[in-house]
Amino acid sequence: MIHPRFLLRQLMSGGHQAAVFVLCVTLSIIAVAAVNGFSERLDRSLLQDARALHAADIIVRSYFPLSPPLLDAIRELEDQGRIQSTAVHEFYSVVRSGHGDDSLLADLKIVGPAYPFYGEVVLRSGRPFSRVLAAGGIVVAQALLERLQLRVGDALRVGSATLVIRDVVLKEPDRPVSFLSFGPRIFVSEADLPALDLLKKGSRVRYIRLLKAAEGENLDALTAALETAAVDGQERIETFRTARSRIRRFFDNFTFFLSLIAIFILLLSGLGIRSTLAAYLKDKEETIAVLKALGATRRFVVLNYLSVVAAFGLCGTLIGLLLGGLMQQGLFHLFGDLLPRGGGGAALSPATIVQGLILGALTVVLFAFLPIHRLRDVRPNRIFRKGGAPARKGPAFYATLILIVLFFTGMILFELRDFDMGLKFLGGTLALILLSALMTQGLLLALKRLSRGPLALRQAVRGLFRSGNATRSTIITLSASLSLIFTIFLVEQNLDAAFIRSFPADAPNLFFIDIQPDQVEAFSETIGRQPRFYPVIRSRLLAVNGEKIDREQERRRRGDNLARPFNLTYRDHLLPDESLVDGEAMFDKDAAGLQVSVLDTVVEMRAMAIGDRLKFRIQGVPVEATVSSIRTRARETIEPYFYFVFPAGSILKEAPQTIFTAVRVDEGEVAALQNRVSTRFPNISAIDVSQTISTFAALLHRLSLIVRLFTLQSIAAGLLIIVSAIFATRIARTQEAAYFRILGARSRFILAVFSLENVLIGAASALEALLISQAAGWIIAVRVLDITYHPYLPESGLLLLGNVLLVLAVGSAATLPILRQKPVVFLREQTEE
Amino acid sequence: MTMIEARNLTHAYRVEDREVTILRDVSLSVAAGEFVVIEGNSGSGKTTLLTLLSGLDRPSSGRVFIRGREITHLDEDEMAPFRNRAFGFVFQSFHLVPSLNALENVMFPAELAGSDQPRQSAEALLRRVGLLPRQHHFPHQLSGGEKQRVAICRALVNRPEILFADEPTGNLDAKNSGAILDLLLDLRKERGATLVLVTHSAEIARKADRRLLLRDGVLDGGGAP
Repeated sequence: MIHPRFLLRQLMSGGHQAAVFVLCVTLSIIAVAAVNGFSERLDRSLLQDARALHAADIIVRSYFPLSPPLLDAIRELEDQGRIQSTAVHEFYSVVRSGHGDDSLLADLKIVGPAYPFYGEVVLRSGRPFSRVLAAGGIVVAQALLERLQLRVGDALRVGSATLVIRDVVLKEPDRPVSFLSFGPRIFVSEADLPALDLLKKGSRVRYIRLLKAAEGENLDALTAALETAAVDGQERIETFRTARSRIRRFFDNFTFFLSLIAIFILLLSGLGIRSTLAAYLKDKEETIAVLKALGATRRFVVLNYLSVVAAFGLCGTLIGLLLGGLMQQGLFHLFGDLLPRGGGGAALSPATIVQGLILGALTVVLFAFLPIHRLRDVRPNRIFRKGGAPARKGPAFYATLILIVLFFTGMILFELRDFDMGLKFLGGTLALILLSALMTQGLLLALKRLSRGPLALRQAVRGLFRSGNATRSTIITLSASLSLIFTIFLVEQNLDAAFIRSFPADAPNLFFIDIQPDQVEAFSETIGRQPRFYPVIRSRLLAVNGEKIDREQERRRRGDNLARPFNLTYRDHLLPDESLVDGEAMFDKDAAGLQVSVLDTVVEMRAMAIGDRLKFRIQGVPVEATVSSIRTRARETIEPYFYFVFPAGSILKEAPQTIFTAVRVDEGEVAALQNRVSTRFPNISAIDVSQTISTFAALLHRLSLIVRLFTLQSIAAGLLIIVSAIFATRIARTQEAAYFRILGARSRFILAVFSLENVLIGAASALEALLISQAAGWIIAVRVLDITYHPYLPESGLLLLGNVLLVLAVGSAATLPILRQKPVVFLREQTEE
Repeated sequence: MTMIEARNLTHAYRVEDREVTILRDVSLSVAAGEFVVIEGNSGSGKTTLLTLLSGLDRPSSGRVFIRGREITHLDEDEMAPFRNRAFGFVFQSFHLVPSLNALENVMFPAELAGSDQPRQSAEALLRRVGLLPRQHHFPHQLSGGEKQRVAICRALVNRPEILFADEPTGNLDAKNSGAILDLLLDLRKERGATLVLVTHSAEIARKADRRLLLRDGVLDGGGAP
């Protein structure tokens, strides 16, 4: 049934339309292949050296000193020769240069001589770490030397001790990246820990114990043995295989987000595939009519053209995979400084390639089905008349639509592996496309009625409704893509405005943590003011209404989760930025037992109501409290806040605690104040919030830039539809241009008509996108983020203009050859026909 | 007064390595208000001559003058005012703009010319040809005869001095052909326009003031009035 020569001829004479179709298929594959390849390569690179990335076989973590039973269990295993262990302490502290003029918040890591069991700490001198780090000496990050203007050999005050900088750390195994840190790294020898005098009760310290298993030991068995001794919900025991590093968590979230965009691009490219293929096959209708007049069956036609489409689709898929591989490289390049290593192999893995091929085939088949199916309806009498009746939307149309929705649902669930999120995303995407479609329909109806205005404009409007123009598909695709890009832009700008650019003038910018209760008075004296002090008690939430918190499930959540440690406080009043959303007062005076007031953010994580029973573990002691009220806060402030507040007179007052405070200091005084405090109170850490926020903002902007660049691909789908539509209507356009010329129009007029047509498409899509994104931006800012919304009208205007120019440029590039044609050439062709 | 003058027009094009000459050294002149028919068999070069006289194409050699002004080397934009105001075209295949309805098609040249009342002029013409009730119909909703009547209205809306018609009845049946030709001639007379009409119909040719016969690209018997 397949006619090889006919097939070959069709492939060779594909022309512009086939090229655009191939590009659409390519576009649908690039993003998914790049994201999948990137995730997989990340997996490979993180798993390949997982042991080195965690510096141990088993990692024990806690925010409290390890419990005696767990320490006993570790010791017992050590005595049996089954493991070796070394302690690591991590915490922040303000350090000062030896001469005491400058200070800086640093990320301290106190390690024993056995650290690290796997991987290595690379020093600038090239010397072995274990030989350099000894009592009295420290190893620091280059950033610390630069910021404090110190050199190797200089002294640094850390806590109560003065230590000598011995070397510069270039790389450490279990901290592959530094962007999630508040300050530069300092390695301190375990031997100096007591001299630092920094470990106070309730201090924010990460207590880590790294274990190396003896040869042949079963890690799971060792882990199980330790887990029985560990305090549930407080001490985490993981192997290097199960531990999720912060870098991993960050990239998991990021690739998840990129996956969402990749599927979005796939969907829009699918619309492009359908549109360009329909245009390509429309060009072939006359050939098909001739074939049928010569006796070709429907089967012959469909089979042969299906083969042509499959060949083009394969070509597009292969190019897509190739470019996806390159884009994956690009992503790795962009994140180069954040990633541990190059990862195994540069190219896409066979799994990603096979996945890409299957995806390409499915996408092409689904979106190509309708245009190919319609070939059956081309009749031989098509030879005798131009144009044809528009195809009716029969059962095949609706069946295809359902299949496409099912395909994307499956695809989303497969890519995201998150059912709830997948459905929300699917619903959101479909709603976005539907909204764009409705707005486009309305806009086109309004334009159709336009009967006044300049002649060129009216002609341009008429051109929009030219048969085969794909105006609707183009505007829908472009507006949906732009909506996403605009929304990301607007939310980013609003976040920026709320927290970074206009850091509120009276908002505290210096946080002091780990103040001991007996230091409060002297501390106030040192800083010369009486700020509000907040007692902080570290704890974990164990259960809600008797139901244990499922830590694994909680940790898998993408936002905040109930498995992390919480800071509790006690007071009887609401803070100025707080208000009650449920309950008469913060605490019910008449109620018996311990009460707790909960912030509404917690309720968002898990439904809670007044009267619910919450069980906490506070410094190893289980404590149960009843929810007495639910608070909310104006989130557009940088005031300290607490999720759980207990009554002032409650037993929490007796729990080991530290004090926290936040003050507003002129920028010029921050360093001096930090210095004064750290000189007098080495255990108190000062965090310069505005600087920290700026650092995070820089990272946020970088990520958002990558996301925007990624999303630009979906605009490409819209532009390809325009190009395809112009190719599809080139005869009609040539005809119009010829008629205009014959009737006396100048080139300027004809150019104006075709340009205005593109301007209308660009402006309509951008306008719709602006409306949708302004609404979405407002909802996200006001309803979700609780921040004031600014519409950024000048920037929005620029985006609109940019889109108009882009569409105009692409449209004009495809139209210009048509304009150059002489009318007589067209007339001659018509006469010859 | 001479309205159109052609001097030694030759037109040829290349097909691969072979040169095909369509017109050979054609000279003619048409007086103002004259109705001239260009006759000839298929492939004799009639339509090519019309496109050269109307400036739709440039001759390989020779010159064309309209009211004494040479148009041979004018580019498309320089030809625009001629086509818009001085010329009117009627084609065998009608060539109506498909996206415009009948009224808009007729109005279009008037609007291009910046006319004060394009709609009134177009409506008057459509009424004259009996198509006012169908003014909002698009070309695909009109019959062949109706399309040609709209095309004639469009050709006349700017009151051109010259009408160029290429086989205007070629796509019509006998009944419609007669009606269209009568209409074209009546309107030409009413407006005093010069008419250059290409046809291979002897019947139509008989109605002309003068007949020019083309044989294999050569004008038979000269083209002077």
